Amino acid sequence: MKAESAPTRERPKILPSNPGKIGESRPRADGVPKVRGEFEYSSDLRVDGMLWGATLRSPHPHANIWSIDTAEAEDMPGVYSVLTHEDVPGRKVYGMEVPDQPVLAWEHVRYEGEPIAVVAADHPETARRALEKIAVDYEILDPITDPAEALREDTPKLHLSGNVLKEVHIKHGDVEATADVVVSGEYEVGMQDQAFLGPESGMAVPDGRGGVDLFISTQWLHIDRDQIAESLDLPPEDVRLTLSGVGGAFGGREDLSMQIHSCMLALDAGRPVKMMYNREESFYGHVHRHPCKMEYEHGADREGNLVYVKARLVFDGGAYASSSNAVCLNAGTFACGPYDVPNARIDSYMLYTNNPPCGAMRGFGAVQVCFAHETQMDKLANKLGMNPVELRLKNAMKPGDKFPFGQTVPEPAPVAEILERVENMPMPEEEEIIGRDLRRLPGGVSNVTRGEGVKRGVGYAVGYKNIGFSAGFDDYSTASIALSVEDGEPIIYVHTAAAEVGQGGVTLQAQISRTELGVENVAVLPADTRIGSAGSTSASRQSYVTGGAVKMACEAVRGKVFERVREEFGDEFGGELSMEDGSVLAGNRRIVALAELLENGGIEETVVYRHKPTYPLDENGQGDAHFQFAFAAHRAVVEVDEELGLVRVVEIATAQDVGKIMNPQSLEGQIQGGVAQGLGLALLEEIQMKDGKVQNASFTDYLLPTILDMPPVRMEVLELADPDSPYGLKGVGEPPTISSTPAIVAALRDATGRELNRVPVKPEQLAGIEGEPIRRAPQPGSRGPVADDLGSEA
Amino acid sequence: MIPLKFDYEVAESAQHAVELLGQHGDEAKLLAGGHSLLPIMKLRLAAPTVLIDIGRLNDLNYVREDGDKLAIGAMTRHTDVEHSDLVKSECGILAYTAGLVGDPQVRHRGTIGGSLAHGDAASDLPGVFLALDAEFKITGSGGDRTIAAADFFEDYLMTALAPDEILTEVRVPKLNGAGWSYRKFNRRAQDWAVVGVGAILERSNGSISSARIGFTNMASVPVRASATEQALSGASVDSIAEAAESAADGTSPSSDIAASSEFRQHLARVLTKRALDEALSR
Ligand SMILES: Cc1cc2nc3c(=O)[nH]c(=O)nc-3n(C[C@H](O)[C@H](O)[C@H](O)COP(=O)(O)OP(=O)(O)OC[C@H]3O[C@@H](n4cnc5c(N)ncnc54)[C@H](O)[C@@H]3O)c2cc1C
Repeated sequence: MKAESAPTRERPKILPSNPGKIGESRPRADGVPKVRGEFEYSSDLRVDGMLWGATLRSPHPHANIWSIDTAEAEDMPGVYSVLTHEDVPGRKVYGMEVPDQPVLAWEHVRYEGEPIAVVAADHPETARRALEKIAVDYEILDPITDPAEALREDTPKLHLSGNVLKEVHIKHGDVEATADVVVSGEYEVGMQDQAFLGPESGMAVPDGRGGVDLFISTQWLHIDRDQIAESLDLPPEDVRLTLSGVGGAFGGREDLSMQIHSCMLALDAGRPVKMMYNREESFYGHVHRHPCKMEYEHGADREGNLVYVKARLVFDGGAYASSSNAVCLNAGTFACGPYDVPNARIDSYMLYTNNPPCGAMRGFGAVQVCFAHETQMDKLANKLGMNPVELRLKNAMKPGDKFPFGQTVPEPAPVAEILERVENMPMPEEEEIIGRDLRRLPGGVSNVTRGEGVKRGVGYAVGYKNIGFSAGFDDYSTASIALSVEDGEPIIYVHTAAAEVGQGGVTLQAQISRTELGVENVAVLPADTRIGSAGSTSASRQSYVTGGAVKMACEAVRGKVFERVREEFGDEFGGELSMEDGSVLAGNRRIVALAELLENGGIEETVVYRHKPTYPLDENGQGDAHFQFAFAAHRAVVEVDEELGLVRVVEIATAQDVGKIMNPQSLEGQIQGGVAQGLGLALLEEIQMKDGKVQNASFTDYLLPTILDMPPVRMEVLELADPDSPYGLKGVGEPPTISSTPAIVAALRDATGRELNRVPVKPEQLAGIEGEPIRRAPQPGSRGPVADDLGSEA
Repeated sequence: MIPLKFDYEVAESAQHAVELLGQHGDEAKLLAGGHSLLPIMKLRLAAPTVLIDIGRLNDLNYVREDGDKLAIGAMTRHTDVEHSDLVKSECGILAYTAGLVGDPQVRHRGTIGGSLAHGDAASDLPGVFLALDAEFKITGSGGDRTIAAADFFEDYLMTALAPDEILTEVRVPKLNGAGWSYRKFNRRAQDWAVVGVGAILERSNGSISSARIGFTNMASVPVRASATEQALSGASVDSIAEAAESAADGTSPSSDIAASSEFRQHLARVLTKRALDEALSR
């Protein structure tokens, strides 16, 4: 058994470690414990006398609630608290952008799994049984499950504001432009889940004076705190959050799950309350990636220069707003892909339905449109009889071009370069198909083929996305650096509220501090709300924003150190002051050891760091909405068993611009992991919905790729510095997910000649049992079916 | 998720297990490797109040030669079947298929007896035992009885085992040079079969004397591809492709989130053809 940790307000002693400097690979502090099963996740929290919370959820996607009777549950021995909407002390709804989601439902439920009541009991089983004793009188209503239906005038409205949650219209250049060569298509992306491995969990501990401490897995402590405090009707300082061990996030922990519930129960029962979803409940406990239907039309001249793009995007936002507004905006702004498009008209709609709420997931709106715009580019290349990479190179955006939303493309924007790189990387060896080791065939050791029916294909895609929070959002982070002397050695304490969700942020903060202050011992304190907000660990932003804050705080500390040096030693050094090896140097000359300088007191500085401002879009969808862009390109090589529709991804090659490699090993992990998630969306991962109900809320039926499904990833990394960012770095977490999906699907089309307009691609489609085949030109390097014009296209 | 509370008894012998089953009635379940039972208990699809652990009955973990048959004890783990030299040489299809069950963890805990007694047509071994015309030895309060595989599987998760009976042994004929193949379609490595096909082909004088084909997951119980078997009886080796076209005849597999009924039938046809081709070449 692994250790289970009692939460405490006392700060644990953090052992310092030497994290190395930026640019070095260092093993992460949490790496070995995670592999050995010793890492303490929030689900391991335990304290004597704690109660277990459980949640009653609606079995219906759409219903009126006529009554909720909790009397029988309250009378059960071992049950300490049974709470409904009536017991929410403050604001009865929550939400990051639009507070429209009931803490506990009253009158209506709008999705399957919506929380209605919560219970705290002395045993999880007692809590579960108490839920069964709560009688809810439902009037079942027809669910609205199709966003297109939700959009129609005569469809009943799910919210007072109507069914349209958000619309973004981008008008760029001549929206009536026409062109000689036109291709169009309809595309669909299914509902992907973040599928983090550590389900939602945490523990709320009442402080006995009306306040509460919450130990929690989350992506953003302060936005949780503010929403909890509103609903508890407490001042924010009476709601204190500490980050507990997080088992992955990928966007799925940005919204609240059990935070308010556990605090309500703990305050009502006067005892610590632990809540922990199981895997099935987790599927109902967090938002998912938005499913989307997209209609596209691309126009080009006969040489292949893009003339216009028209797109209509319809997103299923599900029952509540979550971060749908921002996804709708993001998707609209990136709908054309990283190309120089002179004219565009993009209409992006986000609809309320009775499906599960959808929100943030790695790629955040860019993933859906990338699948569509990259498929369109292949179609256009085919129609023009052009090599698809050449067509992309011809239209690749460059610094100085205008994005369709009016902003100028900043330096660096190496779209052409990353495409050329993936095209020029060596191809994986093409081994004789018959007689191969089964592990290198579609279906692997399950022995479905020994080479029968196997075809190889190659596909390319390129994508891009903004880093950080956009469109006028005040996006900042706070960091505190304390430099002192302990046991005769200088030591740095770093404190931020940035959530480590597995991305390696703790190590990075330590590396930055180590680099800036030349001190080897660095201790990163637990993230909590004692310090100001760090913003969310999402949008690939923490290295930039919290990294920037840590760097800035180090610079402030360094300034103070130098001030002390000048006070004590004057300022005639004959060289610039610097900090290295625990000393202050002037040029190469050692002036003083920090241990000596700081003997009578350390230095602590807290700063707030902001990136340059962004601005909302105007009514034509124009504006300087984003502050940094990240680009990646992928080449996929696949083999498909044409009769069975099984796929082996042979290799993914990728090139990505990261500005500056901060930690090579972390970077490689992000790229590999992002590709795995992109592969999952291409081939396996979908929450299957039927009449508003989830059909596969388990890891048996929701198919996550395993290590055996993952191919080797060949990567080239560019370091083109962003002049505005700390160290020139760019966010790296999301781009690997964005274009890996369309590259894989392009390779599948290349191998099979089928249309494949929906992801995840099912074996049925590849085997021709569903959908119609098309014939199209091969990609460079492939031996797929050979050219024929797309008869059906305009 | 954690299962509901249950009482726990350890059986010292097969006979003792039968006695304990008799004592505790319907509320009791035998616990072998636990890799089918515990998952459904966690999901609350089963809630036995007593578990009778037969995991320590090492005398039921064996593979023996018995004339022209192999006898395999019910408590033999998948991994032991997979690696048994005897099984590999005399009934290769069994060793091979046992090696395709789940992942190494599952194969080290799960047992042959549990796999059959659970009665899940999505499991890989039942269809293969059916194709092998295996016999199952069952011990109950009234003594032992033997039942043919074809009579054992009654419906989804239902077998001919009475509540107070224990499966103790399975017997399969040696293949004596017959060709064989097992092919398992799953979308993700190490998953359950969407469809599986086991084929055993006997040849004489350049033609096929008999073909026996068992399906995984094509019905609520394991079933045989009767039409294809008939078409191949005494047929030329060139008739495999045509005979495989009728592999799904008479089946009505379910449509579910893993595959439509139509796609399962397609898979059955393609996999049957490929399995027969491989069996022929072996
Ligand atoms: C992750 C995972 C993946 C898996 N993948 C596969 C797969 O790909 N293919 C596959 O075929 N299987 C798969 N399995 C199931 C595995 O093969 C099981 O171990 C096997 O089906 C049951 O064997 P057991 O010994 O674990 O039985 P248990 O779970 O202990 O018992 C199963 C049932 O049989 C009864 N029972 C057990 N032994 C006897 C007996 N001797 N007499 C009478 N009744 C008995 C029990 O009472 C219970 O009802 C998987 C399991 C897991 C957990």
